[in-house]
Amino acid sequence: MPAPREPIDDPPPFLGTWRRVYGAVLLYLAALIGLLAVFTHAYR
Amino acid sequence: MRTLDWIVLLSSLISIVAYGLYRSRGSSTVDRYLLAGRTMPWYAMGLSIMATQASAITFISTTGQSYTDGMRFVQAYFGLPIAMVVVCATVVPAFHHARVFTAYEYLEKRFDSKTRTLASLIFLAQRGLSAGLTIYAPAIVLSVLLGWPERVTTTLMGATVISYTVMGGIKAVTWSDVQQMGVILLGLVVALITVFVLLPHSVSIGDAVYLAGAAGRLNAVTTNFAWNDQFNLWSGLFGSTFLFLSYFGCDQSQVQRYLTGKSVSESRIGLLFNAVAKIPMQFFVLFIGAMVFVFYLFNSPPLLFQRVELERIQASPDYAAIEQDYQRGVEHRRQAALNLARAHREGAADRSADPTLVTEYRAAEREVDTARTKAAALVPRMGGEEGFRDTNYIFLSFVIRYLPPGLVGLVIAVVFAATMSASSGEINSLATVTVIDLYRRYVRPKASDHHQVIAARWATLFWGVYAVAFAGWGKRLGSLIVAVNVVGSLFYGSLLGCFVIAFALKKVRGTATFIGMIAGEAAIFWAFLHGGISYLWFNVIGCAVVVGVALLVTAVWPERTDQPAGA
Repeated sequence: MPAPREPIDDPPPFLGTWRRVYGAVLLYLAALIGLLAVFTHAYR
Repeated sequence: MRTLDWIVLLSSLISIVAYGLYRSRGSSTVDRYLLAGRTMPWYAMGLSIMATQASAITFISTTGQSYTDGMRFVQAYFGLPIAMVVVCATVVPAFHHARVFTAYEYLEKRFDSKTRTLASLIFLAQRGLSAGLTIYAPAIVLSVLLGWPERVTTTLMGATVISYTVMGGIKAVTWSDVQQMGVILLGLVVALITVFVLLPHSVSIGDAVYLAGAAGRLNAVTTNFAWNDQFNLWSGLFGSTFLFLSYFGCDQSQVQRYLTGKSVSESRIGLLFNAVAKIPMQFFVLFIGAMVFVFYLFNSPPLLFQRVELERIQASPDYAAIEQDYQRGVEHRRQAALNLARAHREGAADRSADPTLVTEYRAAEREVDTARTKAAALVPRMGGEEGFRDTNYIFLSFVIRYLPPGLVGLVIAVVFAATMSASSGEINSLATVTVIDLYRRYVRPKASDHHQVIAARWATLFWGVYAVAFAGWGKRLGSLIVAVNVVGSLFYGSLLGCFVIAFALKKVRGTATFIGMIAGEAAIFWAFLHGGISYLWFNVIGCAVVVGVALLVTAVWPERTDQPAGA
């Protein structure tokens, strides 16, 4: 039986490091909440 | 349903199953059957995770939720991206490097066998309960709206799910999820376009959005805080972060999805795709519900959308007066909505007219709402369900009554697809935990690879049949179905606490964690039984108690260094 493959821990395909990718996701969340707040306010 | 609807429904189901089975060829080893040989690409994982999360009842309820309560339910997903980042940074690499099949297997490597077994049993209890309800809940809605016998619907959905899950394992589940997600998205887009097309010619899309907003249906962000308020910015950011941390960090039905990734990076990207796409998708579903609300401003809606209960209350002596008030309210609201839409269109010319018209429109909406509340209160008095709400019937009732042939079949296919994707994930993960954490751990530790695959197939068949049988028994559970999400939250908090200790508190060992989990469960049940707290907070409470008690036990009674098996 072949030995199990070791999991590969590559860098992300964009933004260089995972830390930056996570930061981008959290910024996206903040922007999304901001947009939804503006949407709520605009149609209140 | 007409012939064209049947053609669309059956061809969707057959193509989903065929595609799933085609992509699952070669699942002959336990690693391939349960983890797809760890070869899945990120997009398949991401879509599969989204499909597993979106059960039919979530989809049916969500549109009804925004019809009655507005879009604030979207806030329940604000914690998802935060949870995904935490899971990607901590749990994903740990599970991948530990080469585990299940999340609970990791607990034995970190703690001991009793902690692993307790966590596995908590998962089986919680997920086993929801597996039956996942199939039963949409069946009851289809039964009421289309007159299909519940047993036929549950058996049809159950047999389809069991067939491809038993034969193809996780690969069939994942690839059919991808296709199911495609059907779901197509159905949603078509439904929204149809709602817009069905609006009166004098009402533009801009007017429709304005009318929904004026009736409080576009309240996507609410900042008021109350412990018993389920959906606001704070419960969304804090409570739901814990819920999603539990779901993606400790629930095998999700963990197994990203363990199939061919690398840590693929798993992370699959999860982050979900983090980015989920909130817009929920917003979209809720927006459809808000537009259905606008549609019914101009097309008289029934007093209750659940026709069986409507027929039941018609025998009440109070019914005629309520119906009369309701029809009057609906007519007032229609007129007020038309006036407001006209004023909105001509808004630039006479903006000052709006406040009075908005007040009138909202007063008419309250009239309608009051009559509906009175009608719902009649249901238990006439022998119907206690605490009756017809939220789950609003969207499908609209679909069946107003959508053209073919599209009805497509939307019913969406309901089936959502049920099957959620159910197959549950059955597959239940089977995996049964075989890996119980059977292989305690019954046949030296079983051959082939034997384990056979055992996994039998376990999948067992949990599938159990889910269908449980769904057949579901009618007797009554209002428990409404509480399925709450039931999940009764168990997630203590599982999360256990994993928080595993990853963050290296000094805490097995026995302290085990005692902490028991204390956490006790605290959650105490909070549940004493009421007054939204279920989203149970996860926070449970997690905090597990960690607190485990730390206390460690401080008072330091354990010697364990040497758990497999460490």
